[in-house]
Amino acid sequence: MKISVNLLKQLGKIDKSNEEIVKGIKEHIGEVESYQDLAEDYSDIIVAEIKEKKDHPNADKLGVYQLNIGEEKLVQVLAGDKTLVVGDKVAYLKPGAKVPYTIYTEEKPFIIQSRDMRGMLSDGMMGSEKELNLGNDHTIVMRLPDDAPVGKSFAEYYDLDDFIIDIENKALTNRGDLFGILGLARELTVIFGKPFNTPVWYLDNTKNLREESSCLGLNIINDAEVLCPRYTAIAMDNIVVEESPMWLKSALIKFGYKPINNIVDVTNYISQLSGQPLHAFDYDKVISNDPNKNSSANITIRMAREGESILGLDEKVHELNDRVMIISDSTNPLAIAGIMGGSETEVDNNTQRIIIECANFDKTNIRKTSMLLGLNTEAGTKFKHALDPNQCIPVLKETVRMVKELTKATIASDIIDIYPTVEEERNITLSIVKINSHLGLDLQKETISQILTNLEYKIVKDDDDFLTVLVPSWRKDVNIKEDIHEDIGRIFGYNNVESILPLRNLIPAKDNAIFTLKKKIRQILADSGANETDTYSFIDIVTLEKANLDANKAYKLKNALAPELALMRTSLIPSLLLKTQMNLQEGYDKFILYEMNIPHIQGYVDENKLPREDWHLSSVITSIEKRNDSAYYIAKRYVEKILNTLNIKDIEYTLLSEYSEEKLTEDFKNSIYMFDRNTSAVITAGDVVLGIVGELDNKVKMNFKLPKYSAAFDINLNVLNTIEIKNSAYVEMPKYPESRVDLCVEAEDEIRYKDLYDVVFKEINNDDMKGTVSCIDIYKANEKATMKRITFGIAVKNFNKTLNDKDIKVITEKIIKQLEKTYSVKII
Amino acid sequence: MDNNLEKIQVQLQKDTNLSYEELKTKYLSTNGLLTLAMKAIASIPNDQKATYGQNVNQLKSSVTELLDQKKNQSLVYSPNNRIDPTAPFDVNTPKNDRPEIWDIKGTKHPLHKEVEKLVEIFQRMGFDVMESKQMDDDYHMFESLNFPVGHPARDMYDTFWTEDGFVLPAHTSTMQNRALKQFEPPIRVVLPGRVFRHEATDASHGHTFYQMEGIYVDKGISLANMKATIKTFLEAYLETDLEVRIQPSFFPFTEPDCEFVISCPFCNKTGCSTCGHSGWIELMGCGMIHPNVLTQGGIDPEVYSGFAWGFGVDRLTMIKLAINDIRYLRDSNLNFLRQF
Repeated sequence: MKISVNLLKQLGKIDKSNEEIVKGIKEHIGEVESYQDLAEDYSDIIVAEIKEKKDHPNADKLGVYQLNIGEEKLVQVLAGDKTLVVGDKVAYLKPGAKVPYTIYTEEKPFIIQSRDMRGMLSDGMMGSEKELNLGNDHTIVMRLPDDAPVGKSFAEYYDLDDFIIDIENKALTNRGDLFGILGLARELTVIFGKPFNTPVWYLDNTKNLREESSCLGLNIINDAEVLCPRYTAIAMDNIVVEESPMWLKSALIKFGYKPINNIVDVTNYISQLSGQPLHAFDYDKVISNDPNKNSSANITIRMAREGESILGLDEKVHELNDRVMIISDSTNPLAIAGIMGGSETEVDNNTQRIIIECANFDKTNIRKTSMLLGLNTEAGTKFKHALDPNQCIPVLKETVRMVKELTKATIASDIIDIYPTVEEERNITLSIVKINSHLGLDLQKETISQILTNLEYKIVKDDDDFLTVLVPSWRKDVNIKEDIHEDIGRIFGYNNVESILPLRNLIPAKDNAIFTLKKKIRQILADSGANETDTYSFIDIVTLEKANLDANKAYKLKNALAPELALMRTSLIPSLLLKTQMNLQEGYDKFILYEMNIPHIQGYVDENKLPREDWHLSSVITSIEKRNDSAYYIAKRYVEKILNTLNIKDIEYTLLSEYSEEKLTEDFKNSIYMFDRNTSAVITAGDVVLGIVGELDNKVKMNFKLPKYSAAFDINLNVLNTIEIKNSAYVEMPKYPESRVDLCVEAEDEIRYKDLYDVVFKEINNDDMKGTVSCIDIYKANEKATMKRITFGIAVKNFNKTLNDKDIKVITEKIIKQLEKTYSVKII
Repeated sequence: MDNNLEKIQVQLQKDTNLSYEELKTKYLSTNGLLTLAMKAIASIPNDQKATYGQNVNQLKSSVTELLDQKKNQSLVYSPNNRIDPTAPFDVNTPKNDRPEIWDIKGTKHPLHKEVEKLVEIFQRMGFDVMESKQMDDDYHMFESLNFPVGHPARDMYDTFWTEDGFVLPAHTSTMQNRALKQFEPPIRVVLPGRVFRHEATDASHGHTFYQMEGIYVDKGISLANMKATIKTFLEAYLETDLEVRIQPSFFPFTEPDCEFVISCPFCNKTGCSTCGHSGWIELMGCGMIHPNVLTQGGIDPEVYSGFAWGFGVDRLTMIKLAINDIRYLRDSNLNFLRQF
């Protein structure tokens, strides 16, 4: 929203510097996007008159002009425009002047210098509309009106010695009234502690305009009352369409509008002033285009029909449907309501009679239509933010007044006003105590009353702690008392609010177990050589399929930014695989990436039917070194490192190919296909599946160009969190020295290490003794051998005595007997 | 076809069982069969040169194809036997090469390191922690936060939707309603989480980033309490005294709505690149929780009041660690990750 400080000052009678005004807006209204000192931008540009014209002796395309710039000596300027004639008035940019257009479009503004052009000196430049930032024409030098005073500052002549502030629209989202300069002037005046005097015309709701000359028939039917609460219009005759006066053009340029003609310019000017969009139709075109020939203009506000379309003022055809509100004649669309007029009834240079429309449309419908048609117009932006239907009549009358002033036009109909349901006035009761406790202030009732009256709230009841106020009709954002608390705080100044820490009781905050678990794991892995990543939640079909995953299990985005970001990932591992591949290409040859995040599986929902969100810890481990063993064991080593550090015991590992898929939860049913079935294991604690660890499937490794020695693990942290960590009480340790013995057994390959280990462990842990079992070696003569040899290292302590050789022998024999009995192993 | 070339072709068909290295040596080394055949072109009569060249090239592509195939095969590891997952290491592992924890530089992600720090400060101040969802519904993302259907403020959030109608939260405020329902006043909760915005990515904008929401609800909570709480937190985090300002802003779920601005902790208000030479940094949106939001959360706004805030962790991390491109945070390049 661009505003001119000159106009603000004039309306609000504010006597403040530009800096103070910018600061005031920032602190009391909303963020200032940018500001622009036009006087500065146009310095060193002056009005000049062409006194002599010559051809360039060495260049056909250049004209040589002598300019009167109000000084005794004429100035020589060369230009590509050879159409200028003696007597033309132009804008002369002195050497050292900045080209205004380049100030906001280039990194550094272009500065004019005296320069030699094919052997002749050009001592400055004559500006085109575009270079002067006043229009789009850059083909010819801009001609100034004949009455332009030679030697005078161009900025002053064009009323451009102004300061333009651009306020962020976002900050004004709920303030339809601030999309007009009037509303902003009101706020700003109040900020500086003064009451605002809304211009009398804006408050005059009487429909006191009467038809003056020829009677023009104008019939309006509102068939969309719900979405068009108010529609007012008037017809005018004896219009002379011409260029607007300088002050009007200059004002529009400063608002960012392009001047078109006096009628369009007036509607745009008043629209920007009041925040109320207006539209002018060519009366005769409305009648002549109507297939139902009639002597009166017939206008209907209705929803468009499927298949209808309109050629807009943007010269584009817009397809309409039954959700789009339109203004139509007896049959065809004339305008898209609240957004854009139609080209067929546009006011042009031959227009003599017009209809001026000033209406109120539903903000939601306008917003939807604007999105549907992809049309962002000034009018649409204003309507989107909810406007006051009460301003229709005053704004319409002010427009008529200005049109009459500019063109000697006459009023050719009464004001037509369709306003079936008059908006009710809003009274809100405030409590001084509540205002102060909400804002943390200690304001007197008088201060509060003053702020509210300055903002044009009317105090209708004043009763001890309570104030009842009538909300100004333009404040569509004010519905509850807290909205008014905000006004008071904002105007009084948030920076006048002290900092007071809240008092709190001593109840300790609760721990978030998952967050704490993640913190611990992050520490363990970072201490163990692994690097944490934070990859996107988005993935594509190709990557999922490369990882052996079913892309149909992924949620699809309706509005993805790019094809490679089209799906929500069903596992973190594919993202890690991509990043592993990337880092291998970068030359890293041995590393571990891990991430803790949330995968989503389509249809796997929680108790509220929302996608189930369990945290997963996933990791990919890779090394290009040549090894004979399976990478499963390094991945498992990391899983054990985490679980041991967390003191989680009794974890089981079952070969993936031997684990029944039905017992897996959806997240792991999805991810098992990334793993090699014969070199991976399901990690369980009792009946609970914690995760999967193992070698990546060969195809996956190939697809991501990973070396042989690559493995991964995936752990569901929410499940891990449910496992109770046993804070087992201290167990008395035997005081007698430890005895050690090695035991080598030969067993069939299918017999699991853990089963043998359990037998040994059980035999040396009882009431008499305590022992540990370690694995010294596992050996197979060759890869095809059906037997393997395992060497256990056994260490035992007795609670009551030092064990001698004989005791050890007894223990060893018991172990052997048990192993032979259970697993028919052979002792070596 | 030239006699010699034919011979090579026949030989190649016999050699498909050779390894990648063997093939490469036999055909492409300095004295390789193919290399020599290519050199031989010099001695071919001019009128036959073109045909010869074509044939040699064909042969070359057959060799390259076979080599590519071999290269991919060399990635494959298929142990003849299934492993024993209960064992601590493989039968194939040499004694001095048992799998042990790797002695290389491990790291926490810089962003999560900051999240931990931020959360710890709030925990010390007595706040609970509840992490944000990454897929949610319209009710939590918009409706419960006083964004009626069709409200223009919905345009402020460029939101991702899934085909089944779920929303990817564009702000951690999506958790406010849950926090209000789950806890009893006095409510003090921080709500960190990943959020998504449908916008093009550049050095300072990402479609994915981290936010941290906080809410405080009790009897008699005021804007002055909000100002002090956020200021106290920021001073603890940035380890310096700050001047703070509150500017008006707009959010549907707060009333009043504010922007929290701090004096630049890096230049002491003299102006630097971090604060855009203004001396001040706009750090977060905040405000007093809108009565409709409290009501939706089952809390009586006539009895209780509260404030809320939300800020982007990525930006804070970038400011603190002088990271000049948000994309580095998600690139997962080890060059970057191992710096922290």
